[in-house]
Amino acid sequence: MNYDVLIVGGGIAGMESALTLGDMGLKALLIEKEPSIGGKMVLLSKVFPTLDCASCISTPKMASTIHHPNVTIMTSSEIRKIAKNGDGAFKALINRKSTYVDNNACTGCGECEAACTVALPDRFNFGMVAHRAAYIPFPQAVPKKAVINRQGQSPCSNVCPAGVKAHGYVSLVRSGRYDEAFHLHMEDAPLPGSLSRACYAPCENACTRSDLEGSVDIRRIKRFMVDHYYSAHSEPEYGTPEKLSDKRIAIVGSGPAGLSAAYHLGRKGYHIKIFEREEQAGGMLRYAIPAYRLPKDIVDRDIKNITALGVEIETNTNITSVASLKEQGFDTVFLAVGTYETWKMNLPGEDLDGVMDCMGFLSKANTGKISDLSGKTVVVVGGGNSAIDPARLALRMGAEKVIILYRRTRKEMPAHEWEIQAAIDEGADLMILKTPRRFIGSNGRLVKVEVLRMELGEPDDSGRRRPVPVKGSEHSIDVDLAVLAIGLRPSTDSFTDQLKINRNETFRVNPETLETNIPSVFAGGDGVTGPAMIVDAIGQGKRAAFYINRYLQGESLDNIEFDSRLSIADKYDVLSNRGAISKRMQIVAVEPPPSQRVKTSEEVEKCMTEEEARYSANRCLDCGNCSECGECIKACPADAVHFDMQPEEIEIEADSVIVSTGFKLFDAHLKTNYGYGKYPNVVTAMQMDRLVSPTKPFNRTLRPSDGKAPDNIAFVLCTGSRDCTIDNPICSRVCCMYSIKQAELIMGALPLADITIYYIDIRAFGKGYEEFYKQAKEMGVYFVKGRVAKIELVEDGNLSVFYEDIDGGSGPQQMEHDLVVLSVGLLPNMDALHLFNNGDRLEADAYSYVKEINEDIDPTRTSIDGVFAAGTTSAARDIPDSILHAGAAAAQAAGYIHQLKASR
Amino acid sequence: MMEGVIDRGIAEIIRDEMIMHDKIISILKDDPKTIPEIAEALGYPSHEVVYWVMAMWRYGKIEETTAKPNADGYFMYKVK
Repeated sequence: MNYDVLIVGGGIAGMESALTLGDMGLKALLIEKEPSIGGKMVLLSKVFPTLDCASCISTPKMASTIHHPNVTIMTSSEIRKIAKNGDGAFKALINRKSTYVDNNACTGCGECEAACTVALPDRFNFGMVAHRAAYIPFPQAVPKKAVINRQGQSPCSNVCPAGVKAHGYVSLVRSGRYDEAFHLHMEDAPLPGSLSRACYAPCENACTRSDLEGSVDIRRIKRFMVDHYYSAHSEPEYGTPEKLSDKRIAIVGSGPAGLSAAYHLGRKGYHIKIFEREEQAGGMLRYAIPAYRLPKDIVDRDIKNITALGVEIETNTNITSVASLKEQGFDTVFLAVGTYETWKMNLPGEDLDGVMDCMGFLSKANTGKISDLSGKTVVVVGGGNSAIDPARLALRMGAEKVIILYRRTRKEMPAHEWEIQAAIDEGADLMILKTPRRFIGSNGRLVKVEVLRMELGEPDDSGRRRPVPVKGSEHSIDVDLAVLAIGLRPSTDSFTDQLKINRNETFRVNPETLETNIPSVFAGGDGVTGPAMIVDAIGQGKRAAFYINRYLQGESLDNIEFDSRLSIADKYDVLSNRGAISKRMQIVAVEPPPSQRVKTSEEVEKCMTEEEARYSANRCLDCGNCSECGECIKACPADAVHFDMQPEEIEIEADSVIVSTGFKLFDAHLKTNYGYGKYPNVVTAMQMDRLVSPTKPFNRTLRPSDGKAPDNIAFVLCTGSRDCTIDNPICSRVCCMYSIKQAELIMGALPLADITIYYIDIRAFGKGYEEFYKQAKEMGVYFVKGRVAKIELVEDGNLSVFYEDIDGGSGPQQMEHDLVVLSVGLLPNMDALHLFNNGDRLEADAYSYVKEINEDIDPTRTSIDGVFAAGTTSAARDIPDSILHAGAAAAQAAGYIHQLKASR
Repeated sequence: MMEGVIDRGIAEIIRDEMIMHDKIISILKDDPKTIPEIAEALGYPSHEVVYWVMAMWRYGKIEETTAKPNADGYFMYKVK
């Protein structure tokens, strides 16, 4: 794309230059990093000395700029770099950030903002009030379009294998919108009840607050959300989709992967039949996880979420042939067979009656086929979570003694520490550094386990120290039942002659599409990944559904990205750059004492109360800002919000460049003796301008400490200007006049208010300025010559200002006010100095403003030929001077372009 | 929390708004109140309550009861 001029910065100077050049018939591209043009001027209340409405002056210019046929504007865009070509023109690379809103569709209605669940400081009101992560910058914004503030994806959501928007449902629970939270979860994963009990919650490990006093209790918040919803909805609120497909899908296995795939495909209207070899559906959820962790009525209710779509589940049907399913007329097959087998130890006596694998034991125990172990001694061999569950279950079945036998130390146990501790608390005996050598029977029945003591040697491939038997350490333990839980094995045996299988007995699939070596056959879940978390399997089912749908639609599976996510939000940024974070402790989970809970199979963990859930949700730090709750998408009547929008890198060429990047305001926190940021009633002049503007953040001009209408207001001039202590010795040129302007406006809004202006000297140099100053004095503004030394808090939020009374000659004095305005100075925007590369350097003057090489006789020309500075980029200026200067920059640029074109 | 001094991060105070909506609506349900009265009922500093009340006013959940403040300079707010 080629333009005559590139203008960087869409404030009043940038707009003026663009309009002037556009009127000359030159093509201008205006780049603005904010979502709206208008700069700081449009945020002001009035302009001095005329007290004309700033918006009334700005908005016509903003509208003219966006509608000018020769001016193109790019908002939410930043310059990556500008380089000068050999022919005197410039090449620029522009990053057009994604606002996640289609500007062509957005009507600026603000419905998204009203629906949003995340409150953030409104920078267009200088932090005095909240706006939303979905927001319209300000009422006069041009373009008046919504923007979604997404600073990466929150870590909790980013790490979820199923793509569940944890931050989203947490923010909805925080807002008390529990049903919406449930529905959001259902967009990604259909088994929220099971996950709320038995998920190992990788989201919590990723939570930024886990680096502080402990993660947000995301899983238990989900538990509250699910229980709240299920208690009100015993059945799903939906039925079969209106539009049904004639395609048929067979799913083998009704565990989390199979159910997840069935749900996502069922929503698309496919005919789905799940084949389950066991008596009931649910796979590991029903047969492996004990009821004290996951009640089976919750599994049943979760499964209704799938069957309500018309998904058929045929139990007691063991599928061993893919071909047979094809013969039955199924168009595709998804194998979600799980890991229901256990690796053998290959020890003598392993086949004795009384030696069981953990899945055999768990499924029998969970279905009541084994229910009483009274007086028995049970040994569980293994150190993973699959060993802890049988141990705790055996205790609940009355076992007199339960021993967990593990060959390394507790530190190396793969099981979660809290689960190990729970088992010990309930009475399990953890024997570490021990392994069985053989199982000894009598009359075919197990009576003893011969055990070897181990010691740790060198680390093995897993990084853990290898257990080495201690010679002569054999001894035996009397046992009635041994449960072998040394690892689960994929249930792929039936398919080894039909499909490619890996060495670890998992299905060999395309890792992206989950397609097997037979094109219409897909596989996922533990049968592909090996033993993994429930949420991993659910994610696999969702992934498979995505590609199966494409397959059935005849679409390519190649180079199509599933589940594209924003990059993860930066934890360091969250913890270091978003202000102080208070310590907020986790709610301690309520559980009956171990001695009591071991007597029953009832669910151990109690649900949070509503208050606890909302408190817990409010511990969330909103890491990515937007929570992805999706409420804006639902609320938008124009379907304009699209989270999949991507940023663009745009390269353009222009003959000339105008830099109109404006100024920065002095950070009043740096004058610590004035108490800004500490005392609520110390505000900056920019905040005061917002408080007296027609689009003020409060319902009236009120003080921030308590919402009272102030009646004794002080202005402290030269805050951060003419001050060598903060390295800004120069005058900002506008502070005296804008303070007088605000004083007059306050007198209009609050007629009874007393106004005091503390000054060094009043600089009323411009047209009408002296008269404006006199007018303020005549209106009753009290001017005190004397620099303010410090400000202290007194009663009721009032402030004591310590100053020197120079004109009155009474020396150091103090005066009480109920609101103090710091008239902060202007500073150079040094970002401008880094716009150019390739050896072209925009030189700065002694105060770090962009240097005009000869501002007396060649104004606006910079150190780079063809680059011109407009407005406050090169010096502090008032608005009329900025506009004049921008006009000059436009004229200079036009001259340069004319010469350049003539030379070609 | 010390009345009159900002001792929490502004972003955190503003984050709390979402959990305060229902509490403030409940407080204002029967009688209009000033910000200090709401603050007392909530047990939070007035300057924090200003953030929440003003955001609720901005998004149309509450409104002031009169065009002018009371004799002490405070507006009363009610549920809209």
